[in-house]
Amino acid sequence: MAADQAGVPVREDKPVSALLIETRNLVKTYGRGSSVIKALDDVTLTIDRGEFVAVIGASGSGKSTLMNMLGGLDKPDGGDIAIAGQSLARMSKRALAYFRNETIGFVFQQFQLLPKKSALTNVRLPMQYRRPRLDDENERARQSLERVGLGDRVHHKPTQLSGGQQQRVAIARALVGEPELLLADEPTGALDSKTSTSVMELLVQLNRQGITIVLITHDKEVADYADRVITMRDGKIVEDVRQGVLA
Amino acid sequence: MRIPGLTTLTLASGSLLERPFRTVLTMLGIVIGVAAVFAMLSIGEGSRQKILENIDSVEARTISIFPNWNNGRASARRAWRPFTEQDVLDIQAIPGVEAATGDLSQEYSIVSETSDWRANVIGADPQYLAANDLQMQRGRPITQTEIERRETVAVIGTSVVRSLFRGQDPMGERIKIQNIPFEIIGIVDETEGTNWRGQDQNNFVLVPRPTGRARLFGDDRLVRNQVRSIRIVGATQEDLARIEREVDFIMRRSRGLTADEAPDFRIFNFSANRQAVAETQRTLSLLLATMGAVSLIVGGVGVMNIMLVSVTERTREIGLRMAIGARGSDILSQFLTEALLLSIISGLLGLGLGYAVSQVSLGTDEIEMVFSPNIAILSFGSALLVGVVFGFLPAQRASQLNPIEALRHE
Repeated sequence: MAADQAGVPVREDKPVSALLIETRNLVKTYGRGSSVIKALDDVTLTIDRGEFVAVIGASGSGKSTLMNMLGGLDKPDGGDIAIAGQSLARMSKRALAYFRNETIGFVFQQFQLLPKKSALTNVRLPMQYRRPRLDDENERARQSLERVGLGDRVHHKPTQLSGGQQQRVAIARALVGEPELLLADEPTGALDSKTSTSVMELLVQLNRQGITIVLITHDKEVADYADRVITMRDGKIVEDVRQGVLA
Repeated sequence: MRIPGLTTLTLASGSLLERPFRTVLTMLGIVIGVAAVFAMLSIGEGSRQKILENIDSVEARTISIFPNWNNGRASARRAWRPFTEQDVLDIQAIPGVEAATGDLSQEYSIVSETSDWRANVIGADPQYLAANDLQMQRGRPITQTEIERRETVAVIGTSVVRSLFRGQDPMGERIKIQNIPFEIIGIVDETEGTNWRGQDQNNFVLVPRPTGRARLFGDDRLVRNQVRSIRIVGATQEDLARIEREVDFIMRRSRGLTADEAPDFRIFNFSANRQAVAETQRTLSLLLATMGAVSLIVGGVGVMNIMLVSVTERTREIGLRMAIGARGSDILSQFLTEALLLSIISGLLGLGLGYAVSQVSLGTDEIEMVFSPNIAILSFGSALLVGVVFGFLPAQRASQLNPIEALRHE
């Protein structure tokens, strides 16, 4: 791997096109018979590299299902989805696991850190499933922690960190594998407003360094940090607005 | 350089160490199971070898008869009656009897020119050596003539040689028993170990029985021609049952007992005794096998239970690992390794416990244990098998979790 002038790694083995995410007529239903719920109803969407997109909607609008699709955690019942040139709909479980490891970085509302492990160990975790294994896992994890401003908390355990710091560790973990796409599911949902601001500012900063971010939230204020806001209702995209970057 | 599987191993041991108390409790069942299996196999092997090694030995062909002291109905009427020299001769005449000898002995102080030593003085007859599976080391045995003439000659055991003569040649020397001088004419070859009473088997002086009876054994109950017990060796083991019946017949006739009267003597068949011991060992083995199997199953269920709890507790962790790229097989091997590691440690502890227990039980004569690498491998293998069998279900369950639901798990 090489790095461009902004210090952002660029994969040399794949043609770098602007298009990162493309979904066509995506359908996902839950339940059977009369109680069928269409979680995704004919969703067609494209997202380019470098975008910061917020998907907003009430609970049950289908935004979480969309995130699971984009992250390769779930498969659509109809339509197709391609991320970084890889079509996910017909991928095997095994290939999907590899895809998630290589291409996606997840940030969750509840941080999902291993409570008894150090920040470094937590950040290093995705490297454990990288094939082939890399020799500089610790160094990468350390750099990733520095990138989120926790270079001095490497050996702290999650219980010794504040909520905001824990979410930063989780973001470092998402970044350590140099993913194409950062998927953040309500990343500030468990944080107070002041901490939320600093976490969102970190995401904006990362986006400016070239990382594509898709953020799922029900909070309009949080969505305002993004360049583009997609609103969902009843499994459909009802609005797709590009907005100016906030100063 | 990366060692394959090291991460999985580190992961598994880390998770076991996070909950040490639970881990120890979980291991207990398997530890006991392996120890029981180990002990069972060792005892089984012990009894098998015991039967094998004794099948042709003199001991396996030996019958002993003793008078009933005071616990039989017949002897309640009279004081115990010893056997006679005539009984010994009659038994020697039974077809298939290789040797038979009467026992008459007592412990005395044996005095040489320079020192003294306590030893068992035995009144021997010509068949004494054969009946006790003894060989001469030097010199010659006591002859029939010497017995008839009540000569004061002695054949001594190696412990007497060592203790009384300390490197000097005892042949032809004189020793005094009860102030009566005896000439040493031979030395009996050393036999191993101690007898059933724990006495040194080589610490004896053989003298002609009539000499001993006339000049040493001043026990007034043992007049003229009497012996305390008789030891009989059959030529083959197959003949022993018949010889035993004939001995019973001869003794009843000699003591004026009818066939249906309770005897005032007891017949001990060493071989039957040995077989009874072997039988006991087999029963013990079976008991231990059952205990081992039950313990291993209970231990296995314990492992499965704790692994299921662990999977449930760590559902979110599993979900996270899957989200960041763990394949089902990664999760499977993580939990299977954990179960296996539990079993391996338990297996090793079980072997240790089994060995420790067997060291304690080796102090008793009743149980014989034989160790072999195969037994250790087999017992250890049973622990591994339990780990794989009972660890598989929880591990598989973990590997098939849906990451989305697992991440939402509270």
